Amino acid sequence: MAVVTNTKKTSATNLWMIIFAVFAVLGAVCWGLQLTKGLQMTNLGTDNMWGLYIVGFMIFTGIAAGSLLFAAVPYLFKLEEFKPYTRIASYLGAVASVVAASLFIIVDIGNPERVWLFITSGNWSSPMFWDFIMLASYMVISIMFTRKLILLNEGKIEEKSVKGLALVAFAAGILVTVTSFVFSFQVARPLWNTPAQPLSFLIAALAAALAVMMILSHILNKSGYIKMPIGLLAKMGKLTAALLCIELIIVITEILIGLYPGSGEDYAAFIWLVTGKGAVSFWLEMVALVTAIVLLAKQGTSPKAGLLLGGAIIALIAIYLIKSNLLQAQLFNPLITLPGTPVYGGTTEPYVPSLLEMGLSIGILSLGALLLNLGFGKLNLGTTADTRKL
Amino acid sequence: MRYAMAIDLDRCTGCHACSVACKVENNLPDGIFWNRILTAGGKSMDTPSGTFPNLSMQFLPVNCQHCENPACVKACPVKATYKREEDGIVIQDYDKCIGCRYCMVACPYASVRQFNWKKPEYAIDVAMGDAAITPHQYNTVEKCTFCTHRLAQGLKPACIDTCPNRARIFGDLDDPNSEVSRAIQGRSYFHLLEEKGTKPSIFYLT
Repeated sequence: MAVVTNTKKTSATNLWMIIFAVFAVLGAVCWGLQLTKGLQMTNLGTDNMWGLYIVGFMIFTGIAAGSLLFAAVPYLFKLEEFKPYTRIASYLGAVASVVAASLFIIVDIGNPERVWLFITSGNWSSPMFWDFIMLASYMVISIMFTRKLILLNEGKIEEKSVKGLALVAFAAGILVTVTSFVFSFQVARPLWNTPAQPLSFLIAALAAALAVMMILSHILNKSGYIKMPIGLLAKMGKLTAALLCIELIIVITEILIGLYPGSGEDYAAFIWLVTGKGAVSFWLEMVALVTAIVLLAKQGTSPKAGLLLGGAIIALIAIYLIKSNLLQAQLFNPLITLPGTPVYGGTTEPYVPSLLEMGLSIGILSLGALLLNLGFGKLNLGTTADTRKL
Repeated sequence: MRYAMAIDLDRCTGCHACSVACKVENNLPDGIFWNRILTAGGKSMDTPSGTFPNLSMQFLPVNCQHCENPACVKACPVKATYKREEDGIVIQDYDKCIGCRYCMVACPYASVRQFNWKKPEYAIDVAMGDAAITPHQYNTVEKCTFCTHRLAQGLKPACIDTCPNRARIFGDLDDPNSEVSRAIQGRSYFHLLEEKGTKPSIFYLT
C-alpha cells in the first residue's frame, strides 16, 4: 500500500514538474519576443518606466531575506519547534527567491548582455549596485547555511557550529532594508523618499516569507515530506497577521499624512491612488490586507489548514498590491506635470501589465518552483523518512 | 569651466523651434524629444488657462538640467551616466547603458531622459543633422548633450542658434564675461525644483 501511495505521489510530482517546465519555457519564449521586439511589448512607458518586473524583484528579494531570517532566528533565539523547518526556509531563500529576484531584474533591463558591467564598472554610489551585492551575498549565505543545516540534521556537525552563520544570515536578512534604498533614496520621488519605506520593506519581507513558508508547509504536509503541526502553522499565521497589521498602519498613516494638507506633491499622488485612476487597485489592496489579517489572526481553538492556506495566499496578493500601488502612484504623478511635446510611451494610466509581461513573470515563478521541487527531491530538507521520495 | 544655459521666459513664445532644431541636429528617433516645450496654462499643450477674455499662458522649455549634483549619476549602477569634469556636462554613454531606467526614476525633471522602447525609427529614410553625433541605440536611455559635437567644433548648441527671439543664452558660468554670466547678472531667475538640491545648470530668467 505504501508503495502505491509513493508511486501516486511521484507521478503527481512529475506532473507538476512538467507543468512548471512548460510555463518556464513559455516564459523563455516571452523573453525572446521581448528581446527581439523591444520593451515596447510591455505596457511600460516614459512615466511608468518600472512595473511588474520590478515589483517581482521587490517581492522575491523580500522572500529571500525573510527566509534567511526564518532559518536563522530559531538558532539564535532557541525556538526549538521551528528548527526542523529551517532547511526548507534556507533553501527557499537560496534558490527560488534569489534566482527569481535576479531574473526579474535581468528581464527588466533593456540590454541584459551588458549585465557584466555590474562587476567591471559598478557604481558604489548607486543603491541598485548595493542590491546587486546584496543578492549575490544572499545566494552565497543561503547555500552555505542550507549545507550546514543539512549536515546538522544528519548529525555530522554540532549545533554550536551553525550559530556563526545563523548570525550572518540574520544580519543579511535585516539588511533587506537596503532594497528599499533603491526607492527611498530618490529625492525625485517624495512618496518613496520617507523613513517609513525601509521599515515597510522589512515587514513585507518577513510577512511574504512567512506566507510562502505556510503555503509550502501545507503542500509538503500533504505529501508527507514534512509533518508540521497545525499549531505551528497557526503561530506563523498569527505572526504574519501581526506584520500585515503594521503594514496596514504604515499605508493608512502615509495616506492620511499625504491627504491632510489638501494640496502638494504627496496629495496629488495619494488622491490619484485613493479616489483617482489608481483607486480600484488601492481598494483591492485594502480588502486583501484586511481579509488576510482576519483569516490568519482569527484561528480559534482548532485552527484550519485550509483557512491558513487561503490567508497566506491573500497575504501575498496584498503585498503585491502594496508594492505595485506604491510604485504606480508615484510614477504616474511626477514632480513636473505640465503638458508638453508628446513623446513615445507617454502616460497611459493606470498601468496593467501586458500579456507578455504576465507570461514572462509566470515563467520566472515556474522556474523558481521547478528549482524548489528539484531541491526537495535531491536534498535532505524534510523531516520525515519520505523526504527524498517527494 | 562649467557650461550653463539661461532661458528668458519673457522672450519665449512657445514656437517649438528649439525643440525641432534639437530633433533635427541630433537625428532623434520618432517619439523622442530631448528638448520639450511645456505649457503652464491649460490641460493640453499650447492651451491657455482661465476663461476668455481672462486667459494666460506661459511656456517652460525643459531639457536635461546638467545638474552640478546630478541624481542620475549617483543612481546609475554601471557609470553609464557621468558628469564631465572639464565642463560639467552630464553625459549618457550609450555603449554602457544597460537599459535599467533607474536614471529616469532618479531624475526629478520628468521626461528629460527618454528610453528607446523599440528599434529607433525615423520620419525620413535619410539621416538628418550632424554626422558627428553618436548613433542612437535600441534599449538605451538618451537625453540632451548640450550638443557636445557642436561645442567640439567651436559652435553653440543647436537650440541656442535657432531660437528666433534669442530666449536662450549659453556659455561658461565660471567666466564672468561670458554671455550666460552677463545674461544672469541683474536678472531674477529660478532653477527648476531647486529644493531637491540637484543644483541645475539651467537658469530660468523671469
